[in-house]
Amino acid sequence: MAVALTVPGTMAGMKLAVLRNSMSGQKAGLILTGGVLGLALAGGTLFAAFRSGDLLAAAYAIWMLGWIFGPVFSGGGDETLRPEYFTLLGLPPRRLAAGLLVGAFVGVAPAISLLALAGLAVAGVRQSPVAVVVALPAMFLQLAVFVLLSRVAVAVLGLALRSRVGAVGAGVVNGAILAALGQGWVFAVALGQAGGITPEASAALRYLPSGWGLAAVEAAGTGSWGRAGLALGALALLVALLLAAWAALLTRRTGSARASARGRRPITAASAPGAVVAKELRIWSRDLVRTHQLTFALAYGVFFAAAPLVLGVDGMLPWAGPIFVLMAAAMSANMYGVDGTALWLTLVAPGTADVRGRQLAWLLVVGPVAVALTLAFSAVAGGPDPMVLALTAALLGGGAGIVPLVSVYALVPGTDPHRRGGNPLRFTEDDGAMTGMAYAVLALVALTGAPAAAAVWLYGWAGAAVGVLTGALFLWGLGLLAQRRLHDRGPELLQLMRTGKRPPAEPGGWTRFDDLPKRERIIMAVCWTFGAIPLFPQGVVPALFKVNEVESKSWFLALHLPEAFQWPVIAFMVLLGLGLYGLGVWIPYRHRKP
Amino acid sequence: MTPALEITGLSKTFGEKIAVDHVDLAVPQGSFYGLVGQNGAGKTTTLSMAVGLLRPDGGSARIFGADVWSDPSRALSMVGVLPDGMAMPERLTGREVLTYLGLLRGLPREVVAERAEELLSVLELDAAEKTLVIEYSTGMRKKIGLAVALLHAPRLLVLDEPFEAVDPVSAATIKTILRGFVAGGGSIVLSSHVMALVEQLCDHVGVIDAGRVAAAGTLEEVRGERSLEDTFVELVGTPGAGVKGLSWLSR
Repeated sequence: MAVALTVPGTMAGMKLAVLRNSMSGQKAGLILTGGVLGLALAGGTLFAAFRSGDLLAAAYAIWMLGWIFGPVFSGGGDETLRPEYFTLLGLPPRRLAAGLLVGAFVGVAPAISLLALAGLAVAGVRQSPVAVVVALPAMFLQLAVFVLLSRVAVAVLGLALRSRVGAVGAGVVNGAILAALGQGWVFAVALGQAGGITPEASAALRYLPSGWGLAAVEAAGTGSWGRAGLALGALALLVALLLAAWAALLTRRTGSARASARGRRPITAASAPGAVVAKELRIWSRDLVRTHQLTFALAYGVFFAAAPLVLGVDGMLPWAGPIFVLMAAAMSANMYGVDGTALWLTLVAPGTADVRGRQLAWLLVVGPVAVALTLAFSAVAGGPDPMVLALTAALLGGGAGIVPLVSVYALVPGTDPHRRGGNPLRFTEDDGAMTGMAYAVLALVALTGAPAAAAVWLYGWAGAAVGVLTGALFLWGLGLLAQRRLHDRGPELLQLMRTGKRPPAEPGGWTRFDDLPKRERIIMAVCWTFGAIPLFPQGVVPALFKVNEVESKSWFLALHLPEAFQWPVIAFMVLLGLGLYGLGVWIPYRHRKP
Repeated sequence: MTPALEITGLSKTFGEKIAVDHVDLAVPQGSFYGLVGQNGAGKTTTLSMAVGLLRPDGGSARIFGADVWSDPSRALSMVGVLPDGMAMPERLTGREVLTYLGLLRGLPREVVAERAEELLSVLELDAAEKTLVIEYSTGMRKKIGLAVALLHAPRLLVLDEPFEAVDPVSAATIKTILRGFVAGGGSIVLSSHVMALVEQLCDHVGVIDAGRVAAAGTLEEVRGERSLEDTFVELVGTPGAGVKGLSWLSR
């Protein structure tokens, strides 16, 4: 018995020690920012608990989806304690899984989720104080279900990524679900047309594993203890089943994603850029993680654009092309980082146009699919639209320019492919930075479409030519900048990849986030996280609403005030937002090295 | 005669730690040069700076007279490099890696195909025609690395730990190829911490300790009458530090 308790105890202790040691620099800033956002979400969930059971059930469903899909898009989830560390101990799989599970409960995300699950206690008290007796075990069982679902989902995806069919299937499913979440308003409107949450939807939310805890509490609140016991028992059974499944999956975790074993075509290129294209195209087709990413981007684009069909609206359909391009660019962010130290080969053969080859390969992979999507869906939904055509061209060029540029300027050092652990989704030790970079690329590529969008808006079809032109310009110009950077700072990038550490900032340069004092780091994180709230939803958007005389007031503070205060409050909010961003920029500027 | 590799005053500091402290070395043409030192002595850092993979804080490196940092394309065209533990284009087969790099080096396609064929067969990698580099064993990785270094017919080879974790059969193959390369007029610098290996292969030796050159010259000059191992331990060992046993292992 002592041994049975030691393993989880040791693992929890180990996890705490690692967390404590990594609570410095950027990591601490990320954990802090994530923690603050998580607290806001948990607060929202508790608020829902005071309002209605249906709302709470919906909120928990979203928490569950977050636990399942979060790790898929942020480097395979929390891997502080890896199964590989314990291989030599020869623990039975179930004991290992139990130990890792206890370790998995130690952390910021589980703590915040537990806080959100305190909504069960709130829901219980609202019905009858005795229901709290059920709420307490329900909270912990529900948390165990979330954490285990997350682990099992990552393990299943890891397994799927060992075959091409699995990689494609997982990509389609993930893309569809994420697109559905992104288009949540469609389903909200559809529900609204049906007159609020229907009894069927309400029941369905409680049949999801995320609703069992609530079902137990509600049953206890109405005195039906049998039902409450049944729901709790079902939760406990699910925990046991998931634990067994995870233990079984841990034993099948064998190394990185396999390459497909198709016949090898000989490389027929005859020039250096041709050789780079040939290499890149082979990696695109052989690396099943890339297959998954590309299928995901495609499924996301198609389902996102097709979702409004639920309401009988087909106007969004042609946008599948541009959305696919954006997602594909975000997915291939950190292009150089994922290759790890293979960069040395580019350094010993100086003067080769590595960036150009990669750009061309990216266009060859993404371009035909994007153009086909745009043309086919335009034909289905009311003929060609200059905006969609212009943006497809502009974003393709912008993506092929931004992706290599950002990856050489903000390189996130990747783990060398042959040294990666058993989780094929994990390319780097710094998955927070990697996720951030994907979002940055998404936003920057979207920006490269702005000139084309403006031109079409002003000049109609003549503007479509601008899309092609800016696409070509971004492709050429940003590629040139990336090539120069790679040429000038190649050895530094390689050193960063080898050691995972950035070289110290140069004199006169701005101080990096990591080098700032802790207090300044916290202020900066807060500024960058919350600057957007006063600026956009509380400032710019209500201003637009007022100018366009929109009736809705939503949660825009200014619109709930008497007329005389509305514009001053809007102006104040805009200034506050700009001020927060300004402070976020000024702090590192003030601390720059002499 | 211009040295094959001439290192003058190379220095590198990582944060507080001085990794390489004004290292001077000259590798004569046609020599087989062994660079020995403890782990962390600065061998890899020195060699990385000598072939353009790490920017030095000071000093210079010349390959047959061409400066690595101011005239990289000429300098790097004359050297073949095998770094220790770096990645390759992992999802290519051995032949594809060689084809890709040959074209990257500007060789004509027919030449690349011919040399790749010969290298794969000499290094006994042709049996694994469809295996991707990511699935290679450590010995196979070293061999494909050596093939990459030899592909463009360089006059100097710079090899970082070429025998580390390599099985004896692969090691014998690599030794044969390296001896043949020197016999044909080429020059080699290799780093190792296996003294016997350096004594067996090299005619010149440099001993690096704590980022400085402790001794350099022909093998005979450096070791004198003793074995290289005794000389090395005397040069870099801490005096008076006896080897302690592990108490719980003796019965």
